[in-house]
Amino acid sequence: MSQNRTASKARQLRSPLRTLALFITTLAAASAATAQSHLKDGRIGYVLTERHWAIHETEARTECPQGMNSRGSRDLFANQFPEGGDVERTVVNTRLMIEGYQYHTNTATTDIYDSLPFYEAQGNVSHGLNLDGEVSADDYNSPAGEEGIDNQLYRALGCIAGYRKDGPYWFFENDFMINNGYNRWMIELSGVDDLVNDDDVTVTTYRGLDSLYTDATGEGFIAGGTQRVDARWGQSFVEEVKGKIKDGVLTTEPIAQAKIPWSQPGVSDGYHIFKDLQLQFNLTPQVAQGLMAGYVDVEQYNHRFRTNWAMHHQNYGQSSSASEYAALKRLADAYPDPETGANTAISGAVEMTLTQVYIVHPDQEMGSE
Amino acid sequence: MSRVMRRSTPRFKQWLTSAFRGTVMGLLALGALVGCSPVDPEPESAGTQTLTKLITAEQYGNSLAYIFGSGIDAQVRFAPVARNEGLLANSLASAGVSVGQVQTIQGVASSVAKQVMDIENRNHLVACRPESIDSPDEACATQFVSKIGRLLFRRALTDDEIATFVGQASAAVKELDGKELDGEKLDGFYAGLEVVLEGLLIHPEVLFIVESAEPDPNNPEQLRLDAHSLASRLSFFLWNASPDDELLMAAENGELQSPGGVERAVGRMLESPRLVDGMRAFFDDMLVFDEFKTLSKDATIYPEFTSVTAQDAREQTLRTIIDHTLNKDEDYRDLFTSRSTFMSPALAIMYGVPAQPGWAPYTFPEDSPRSGLLTQVSFLSLTSHPGRSSVTLRGMALRERLLCQTVPEPPPGIDFSVLTNPDANYPTQRQRVAAHLETPSCAGCHRITDPIGLSLEQFDGAGGYRLTENGATIDATGSLDGIEFDGAIGLGEALSQNPALPQCLVRRVYSYATGGPPENDARAALNYFNEDFAAQGYQLRNLLRTIALSKAFSLIKNSPSEEERLLATTSSR
Repeated sequence: MSQNRTASKARQLRSPLRTLALFITTLAAASAATAQSHLKDGRIGYVLTERHWAIHETEARTECPQGMNSRGSRDLFANQFPEGGDVERTVVNTRLMIEGYQYHTNTATTDIYDSLPFYEAQGNVSHGLNLDGEVSADDYNSPAGEEGIDNQLYRALGCIAGYRKDGPYWFFENDFMINNGYNRWMIELSGVDDLVNDDDVTVTTYRGLDSLYTDATGEGFIAGGTQRVDARWGQSFVEEVKGKIKDGVLTTEPIAQAKIPWSQPGVSDGYHIFKDLQLQFNLTPQVAQGLMAGYVDVEQYNHRFRTNWAMHHQNYGQSSSASEYAALKRLADAYPDPETGANTAISGAVEMTLTQVYIVHPDQEMGSE
Repeated sequence: MSRVMRRSTPRFKQWLTSAFRGTVMGLLALGALVGCSPVDPEPESAGTQTLTKLITAEQYGNSLAYIFGSGIDAQVRFAPVARNEGLLANSLASAGVSVGQVQTIQGVASSVAKQVMDIENRNHLVACRPESIDSPDEACATQFVSKIGRLLFRRALTDDEIATFVGQASAAVKELDGKELDGEKLDGFYAGLEVVLEGLLIHPEVLFIVESAEPDPNNPEQLRLDAHSLASRLSFFLWNASPDDELLMAAENGELQSPGGVERAVGRMLESPRLVDGMRAFFDDMLVFDEFKTLSKDATIYPEFTSVTAQDAREQTLRTIIDHTLNKDEDYRDLFTSRSTFMSPALAIMYGVPAQPGWAPYTFPEDSPRSGLLTQVSFLSLTSHPGRSSVTLRGMALRERLLCQTVPEPPPGIDFSVLTNPDANYPTQRQRVAAHLETPSCAGCHRITDPIGLSLEQFDGAGGYRLTENGATIDATGSLDGIEFDGAIGLGEALSQNPALPQCLVRRVYSYATGGPPENDARAALNYFNEDFAAQGYQLRNLLRTIALSKAFSLIKNSPSEEERLLATTSSR
């Protein structure tokens, strides 16, 4: 089974010929699956092979009726230093000031570019999970109609081009996840009697050490690879939680706080912190596909964003870290600060595809099966 | 005796003299070796023909690696030769070199010569230092040409040859004086040597292995390989490379053909790590692994089969064979039932197992459907079509490559549509190939191939394991020469007990060693090798020793042309 890596590839696959090819591939994989289950001794592992923030997009862009946000460098520069304006255009007062806003503002609660309109995503439909078990006014309905979906991060980011399909964050956050070993994230299900229905399984998250295995086309990923657990530097990514499988769908209880590797190549220590993290994946012997959702720590989101994304990415993503930070603070909906009462985390969700791997623990012998 | 001396080359006379000086210990050792053998002594043998063979790209590369070290990058690619009676090696004596190929080889030679004379390498690859870097130095050039030329030509260069090459180096120094190439000033002395080295590397005596014969002193009416030809035949056979300095020295000083000399040389070669290179080359040839260069699978049907998979599949089988036959000295036949192999991460995906980084020993568990070479991805994928398995190709490969049998070509005008048509009424290969047996013109051959291939049907065209095909359970029953079984493991066991299996290896090893398919008069020698192989537990190293030390390996047929050539050579001297 192979999964597609980019939206452009996904579009190519929509052609009838590609669809037929994918169907044949799926059949072949399914045939192999009947002969060879990857579930061994009640265990099965999956490694992350595709990841995007869950942004609900419609072809007509009805979720962004006012259009996309315009916060590329040129837009910001024109806004801050208009032709004929009062500000003298020195390096310090222009370029360095803009860069300072992008990378070093850490106390702003209002958008320094508030003279530019910031467009939040509109409508009542979003991907995500009901994190608090409640249905409230700010909640969304899922595309399938489930009420109470918590995803305020979508409200903040849904009309920023960089996060939408083919945008630089949408593409590169996935590409860098694939190609940067730091981001090798995986889950292992244990105590599994049946991959379709099992009301008591254990899910453990790890960081892996090995490269992903691409298929013969070079565009998809192959089930059946091996990932070693990073037991040395990956301990902070290890979490264990109970879950259940019903009709092939895995759901977990919340993990109080989980650290997810999310780094640029060459930039160490990029990660997000999710509180009350939950997983909801459709399982097959080859693939786990679905959502990871939780309350994203806003300060860590801001820190990771500003230390991992260069100016040029923000520019052609029509994105401004300062504006996004302000939006996240404004829309944060959980974990209020005990002193200020301001919320410190924002509900969000991530669309994920994980491909089956054999997870090898440090003490595991591999001389034979 | 006097007749022998009269007809002999100076090299042979030297040998004859030293032969009488052979040690008693050597004779005793030889006697002990013969005495220990439980098999009757080797029958009289007519031997083989002397050959002039094109060196292979691997042999050329291995030889350069020995001479200049592995740091010299020699990306050698020669034109492919046709397979003859199971081996590419059998065609090298009839292979030539076109002008285009010479240009390709010259490109390699130029690159190698440039690297050797590069300032980073020449201080350790050119043993002497010129008096002046800008001018000729005959003494240093002579030292370099003599040493390198001997290793490349597989014999010592004559004084005339050395003088010619050194003269060319000196002339080149003068011609290139003060000139630049690609913006770099050419260092006179080394630039001259570079020109000569390039010429040496494409010299016909380097590219072609020329064997020559001399009368056998034990039987003057019988010819044998001369010492240098024997050294080359041994070295290319066992190491897939030119003789090393020690073997050449043994050929030059008469040691090689003195009593016990060849036994000592072969013993050293069989214990050398370079034997691995030699046997990898042999099995690569025997198993038709050159086809991996062009193997491709339909990526939509077998997305898990990548170019790395193919590369690792080849490597897995070669590692398995070398470990089994040379590291462990185990019974060759057990290769087809053994669960021991090696695993790489990319290949582990095909086998559905976890793997360590790099290559690691791996043993398939007892309940695994895989054991033996026939269940490895290399055999299964090579003998399949790009998008499906092939019972016929698999059966044919087993018969031709492992049992040395010939399966005739299909008659013309065959309708293959029934095999390729995805008719839902014929979901499995067994049902589709049943048409073979219903057609009289097909049945004769397919009866000897398809029952073999059908037992491997639980492995798809890429070598992956499966229990069903198009939703139907696969029936993997089969038979081999009257033995019936169910599945690949049964096939491996049946094959391992088939007397033709070790006999085929013997035949292939002897062909490979001597450079051509055995002629009819080699039957007695082959029988002797077969009996000896069995008596010594089907251990490859013992087979190599027996063949390398045999008369059938080193004796040369008294063909009229050979005698005439010898006479002409003797009279001219």
